[in-house]
Amino acid sequence: MTSIADTWGDERVVVNAPTEELLLSPAAEAQLLWRLRSRMVRTMLRQALATARLRVTLVVLLSAFFWYGLFLLFGEGFRFLSHTIAHPVTQAQTVQAVYNVFFASLLVMLVLSSAIILYGGLYRSAEAEFLLTTPVRPERIVLHKFQEAIVFSSWGFLLLGSPMLVAYGLQVEAGWYYYALLLPFMAAFVYIPGGIGAIVCMLFVHHLARLRRQALLLAGIVLVGGILLLIWALLAKTEGNLLTANWFQEMLGRLQYSEHRLLPSWWLSSGLLEASRNDAGQPGSAPWAESLLFLSLLISNALFLRVMAVAISSRIYRKSYSELRTDHARRRPRANFWLDQAVLRFAPLLTPQMRLLIVKDLRLFRRDPVQWTQFLIFFGLLALYFANIRRFSYDVNYTAWVNMISFLNLAVVGLILSTFTTRFIYPMLSLEGRRFWILSMLPVRRESVLWGKFLFAVVGSSVPCCLLILLSDFMLRVSPLVLAIHQLTCLLLCLGLSGIAVGLGAKMPDLREESPSKIAAGFGGTLNLVISAIYIVAVVLFTALPMHFYLVMSQTETDSDRYSRYLIAGIAAALLTGLTATIVPMRLGLKSFRSLEF
Amino acid sequence: MIEIEHVTRRYGAKLAVDDLNLHIPRGELFAFLGPNGAGKTTTIKMLVGLLRPSAGTIRLAGHDVGQQQTAANRLLGYVPDVPYLYDKLSGNEFLRFIADMYGIDSREADERIREQISIFKLHEFVDDLTESYSHGMKQRVAFAAAMLHDPQVLVIDEPMVGLDPRSVRVIKDLLRKKARGGQTIFMSTHLLSIAQEIADRVGIVDQGRLQFLGTIDELRARVASHESSLEHLYLSFTAPQANGQDAAITPASTEESA
Repeated sequence: MTSIADTWGDERVVVNAPTEELLLSPAAEAQLLWRLRSRMVRTMLRQALATARLRVTLVVLLSAFFWYGLFLLFGEGFRFLSHTIAHPVTQAQTVQAVYNVFFASLLVMLVLSSAIILYGGLYRSAEAEFLLTTPVRPERIVLHKFQEAIVFSSWGFLLLGSPMLVAYGLQVEAGWYYYALLLPFMAAFVYIPGGIGAIVCMLFVHHLARLRRQALLLAGIVLVGGILLLIWALLAKTEGNLLTANWFQEMLGRLQYSEHRLLPSWWLSSGLLEASRNDAGQPGSAPWAESLLFLSLLISNALFLRVMAVAISSRIYRKSYSELRTDHARRRPRANFWLDQAVLRFAPLLTPQMRLLIVKDLRLFRRDPVQWTQFLIFFGLLALYFANIRRFSYDVNYTAWVNMISFLNLAVVGLILSTFTTRFIYPMLSLEGRRFWILSMLPVRRESVLWGKFLFAVVGSSVPCCLLILLSDFMLRVSPLVLAIHQLTCLLLCLGLSGIAVGLGAKMPDLREESPSKIAAGFGGTLNLVISAIYIVAVVLFTALPMHFYLVMSQTETDSDRYSRYLIAGIAAALLTGLTATIVPMRLGLKSFRSLEF
Repeated sequence: MIEIEHVTRRYGAKLAVDDLNLHIPRGELFAFLGPNGAGKTTTIKMLVGLLRPSAGTIRLAGHDVGQQQTAANRLLGYVPDVPYLYDKLSGNEFLRFIADMYGIDSREADERIREQISIFKLHEFVDDLTESYSHGMKQRVAFAAAMLHDPQVLVIDEPMVGLDPRSVRVIKDLLRKKARGGQTIFMSTHLLSIAQEIADRVGIVDQGRLQFLGTIDELRARVASHESSLEHLYLSFTAPQANGQDAAITPASTEESA
């Protein structure tokens, strides 16, 4: 009971009510926030269907295409396994090993992604700040954001995992209960890493608020070190040849870490494999019962983690929120960074205004960890893969194989770059529009703004991309000719992708939106991503295919001149495509940007 | 109704609020004045439960906000300087959500929402999604939402930012009316003119410390004794030298502070 007398006013007011009586019941709170979310989702869907039908159709079709493609791929994979490994026990062991590794990797990724998403949702979002000023219990706010984090972090798992599981069910002719249990299994599973992520996130912020930077650094070093060790151990050269019985045994041995009985990923894979057994008709066999046992194990652990998360959040969420918000010493950014000075002093071909605009963009990029950490993670992982490429048992003496891998690496670099140009370069002009009152006061031509962005994107992307491709080529020991063509193709990719992103960004700006991620997720951003993907495929094919035939034919020395001509024609086509992808969007963007009213 | 006792809040090494003491009774409209970065918003964030004091206690209607923040929020209405509304809800839906959150009976909620729509002249846009609102529209809906459950304590951060003159007038009249009706209002502003017009008492804060606390009349009396204008006096309280020992005009009426 709370009892207090306020003696300063005209009247004597006594507040005398138990705390719980002042609040909604936990169930009413849950229903209220659930209604709020469903109403917003309905509105979003209605809006999307009314104003962005093309985008919705495109997203649905691409998702269906992607799902079906994966389904076919996994189907082929499981057929290959059943043909290659005749022994049913070894076959089942192999599938279980694949499942264990797949789900164990997902477990780690889902813990990390839900913790990161929840950190943003609980400690950095405007909604959490608003809800904390209302009479909603802190644990309800955590559960509300937790549901959001679960959906955001696990939709990829559903999209990636479901075609694999359905394909396996069809391959082994599983009973109906296998398919009926898929969704409950997946939902119960994702709840566990989500719960662990939530607890880790809150405890981390609560206990390590003061040591955050050092703790993050330490955690980062440990994590990267662990991943490196794991990759090193997994990819160590095998004694036997690829896909032989010895190789399989050796690989299964290395993957034993994922078979630990306390891992939820093992419960999931075991439960699913039990449900997929097609011997239900035999006396005494009840695969679904064994499967339900594993499902109950998953559900009970998921619920236990939920209870833990609720208990922890009711005690520490408000406190940790306050600690985090007040634990920042104001840091002044470095004014004379060497790169800024280099651009300002040593870029003679650029006008002073353009140099200043580029330096401004460089500073914004440097001071926004969301941008450079993603850049670092993705390109870092690629560098890690390229540096370890020889450990994958590729036969570097087999020219066509090496050529294919090297061009695939080039395409992957291009595809990752296209996600960055869509997420970070495409929204730049829209965001600039919000600050246009400053730019319009300065003696800067609108064209300079656009060219400044283009140069920033080209230089910023070509340096890391060309270095990555150089590393890949060095590890694959390609010839100088292939290396030169790769570097040229990489430059063309950087030029074209920058031109598409800057040009389309200027052609279709969204001046009302403040969030770059929402701008990138809009119709223009989606179009940018699709055009970029088509462009990458075109340029890589124009150079890769003639190169492949040239290398194969030059070894056999039959009519290699003819294939040299094909190679030259391919390079010319790639150059033409690159120039078109750069010039056309930039011209469209310039024209539109000149007449744009802010 | 609002009791702030020896409250200090640090941001790392920076002292944002320094040993603040305030007692604001029921039915008082209190204006918290000060320049940018003086500690006004930090104090408000502690009142509404977003931040916790590094030291000291805050009570709202008897509830210790450190221990019973959620219950204290039940008695509180809060209008931030940048209001948060759900983009994909209409103003009407948002007000209904707030009414449900405070457990207001459905029929009663309809009545109250109608009343707020009428007071803040929301008719024209209340059924549109809030993502299409201007800052002033959002501010008016935020006021309506804060008033909906008839809170005992109303906390407002920079209330007039982005509002048109008509809305400013409506809000000033409404705040006075609510204070007369027994509501306690804590309002931060850096505009002396607003405080002069509607506040019962003002507190002038600078660099986290309370420099003056008293009624407008007391502030005026101080003006007379120093042969200075109200604005000049206010500026002298918040001028850099006013915070040291050699202040031009030493604040005398800060007995409620440490």
